[in-house]
Amino acid sequence: MPPTWEMTEEEIRARRVPVDEQRVLDVRHMTRQFGGLLAVSNVSFVVEKGEIFGLIGPNGAGKTTLFNLITGLIQPTSGQLYFRGEEYTGQRPHYIAQKGIARTFQNIRLFGSLSALENVKIARHTHTFGGIFGLIAGVLNLPPAPEDERKTTARAMELLEMVGLAERAHVQARNFAYGDQRRLEIARALALEPRLLLLDEPAAGMNAQEKQGLSDFIRMLRDKFSITILLIEHHVPLVMGLCDRIAVLDFGQLIALGDPRRVQHDPAVIEAYLGDEG
Amino acid sequence: MNSFLLISMILAAMLALSLYLPLMAGQLSLASPGFYALGGYIAAVMSTKYFVVTGPFPVLYLLAEMAAAGAACGVLALVVGIPALRLRGIYLALATIAFVEILRVLSLNLEITGGAVGIFGIPQPFSDRGSYLWIAIPLLLLSMGFIYRLERIRTGRAFAAIREDELAAAAMGISPTFNKVLAFMLGAILAGVVGALSAHVLNTWNARQGTFDSSINYLAYVLIGGSRTFVGPVVGGMALTALPELLRALADVGGLPVWLAEFLRNGRLIIFGVLIALGTVFFPQGMVTPELLARLFGRRLRRAEQVASTQPVDHGAQRR
Ligand SMILES: Nc1ncnc2c1ncn2[C@@H]1O[C@H](COP(=O)(O)OP(=O)(O)OP(=O)(O)O)[C@@H](O)[C@H]1O
Ligand SMILES: [Mg+2]
Repeated sequence: MPPTWEMTEEEIRARRVPVDEQRVLDVRHMTRQFGGLLAVSNVSFVVEKGEIFGLIGPNGAGKTTLFNLITGLIQPTSGQLYFRGEEYTGQRPHYIAQKGIARTFQNIRLFGSLSALENVKIARHTHTFGGIFGLIAGVLNLPPAPEDERKTTARAMELLEMVGLAERAHVQARNFAYGDQRRLEIARALALEPRLLLLDEPAAGMNAQEKQGLSDFIRMLRDKFSITILLIEHHVPLVMGLCDRIAVLDFGQLIALGDPRRVQHDPAVIEAYLGDEG
Repeated sequence: MNSFLLISMILAAMLALSLYLPLMAGQLSLASPGFYALGGYIAAVMSTKYFVVTGPFPVLYLLAEMAAAGAACGVLALVVGIPALRLRGIYLALATIAFVEILRVLSLNLEITGGAVGIFGIPQPFSDRGSYLWIAIPLLLLSMGFIYRLERIRTGRAFAAIREDELAAAAMGISPTFNKVLAFMLGAILAGVVGALSAHVLNTWNARQGTFDSSINYLAYVLIGGSRTFVGPVVGGMALTALPELLRALADVGGLPVWLAEFLRNGRLIIFGVLIALGTVFFPQGMVTPELLARLFGRRLRRAEQVASTQPVDHGAQRR
């Protein structure tokens, strides 16, 4: 929300953020209520450029809800969101995606009856010539449409190649095995050329070997595309080995934040996980 | 086959396509008869009140009317679509039926539309009806070509993404509202253009054009023809328009019991209903599916299918 006249001078100053590209994502006092349930409660943290930032917590802690808030799929009850120093609270999902925040989904949401290639090409939407003129040029196959289409296909194939699915580019997305669907979702998210990539439990359903490969893969993504990564993961060894910093959620609240080793030995975190098991 | 039946079949195919266009973006709109009726009134009023000529009516005027009808319907679709397309699924279908009803009641009560009587004596550009084929056939090919291309470009992919999963499409930077309204407008424009042409073909236009019945007819064209490729609605529209004539011809074959002949002649709606019911059970995808087309024509798709069938399918990973 932009500052309004009802605010005091002090409140406005407190909310003003210098345009600071170092702070890729700035989450402030994020709160979301579902009826009587506080799914996310007054959560604040900053994700810095180039970081791999982990978000962990027991089942139902509010991790996915926080992702949905950051990507605009649901609106916060209160709190603000900043992307590269600019407030974007209340914006619609497609605008946020266009700005440079891409995501994958915990319960995979591919375009099931479309091919792998089409899935990735769809995510090139914002990087191709559009609008009514784009439609006319496309239908008549006039410039820049043919060139645009060729580039879109080439770029999508590159990404499929990278996740090892190029040979099966024309297979319907729903016919892929679980792990392959997760990789296809990552390729689709990368096609947006995001600055910030949100991964919701990318290792879920993968075997131990695939999980090991995933660590290297995510690091490679960060370096190759120079993006920032925020990821939710249950598998503790993976998170500890991969993340630069970790935030821990429990019952919607941020109970710990810092480098992996400190967080691992934090009494509140141990309590949350033991309580979960007991 | 007589040329009037052929023209009716082509018009039906295009009306089915006008329903298919919003469906490409996952929107079940039954508004086409409303835009069809409006397009017809625009042509009827223009040709009887403003384009008054002696001698045969110039084809150029007819084309101008079709363009005007398309433009008017596009603008109306924009105005109606923005609020209406907030509704989902069956609620959108109901709202669009209400829209068709509103237009019908309006046309019954306005002076310019000729009230309940309608508009008569719409001038003819040709000396025989068959010549309308020179406009109808290219128009059908044009709309089929348009949709064929649309399905292969950015906008068509955005429509497909929204049809598959609106939320995921939005998360990929696609504006659901913009694209849904655009798909709705394209359908409305096509229905309006067809209405303008129909008004001349039929020579008269009144409030019986574009009613709730037609909404159901067009829907039957798409569902029976198949809604996953644009060929489906074309085939469905043509087949279901030809069917009553076929039944009538059958009824005239001697030796049938009277009740059967009578049923074949007048039981059109019952037969449609039974066809829809049987179709949804035995051919839930309709008569024409992309797979069928691939088997008939395509090689590339066939290869893709083979690859698909050699892949291990992990049922646990399927969402639906
Ligand atoms: N749309 C919704 N309506 C009502 N309650 C919801 C909704 N979405 C989430 N919740 C509730 O909010 C809480 C947090 O859910 P969330 O999915 O964010 O947890 P999570 O940390 O991602 O858990 P998991 O590890 O199981 O994925 C849960 O109690 C959940 O039931
Ligand atoms: Mg979750």
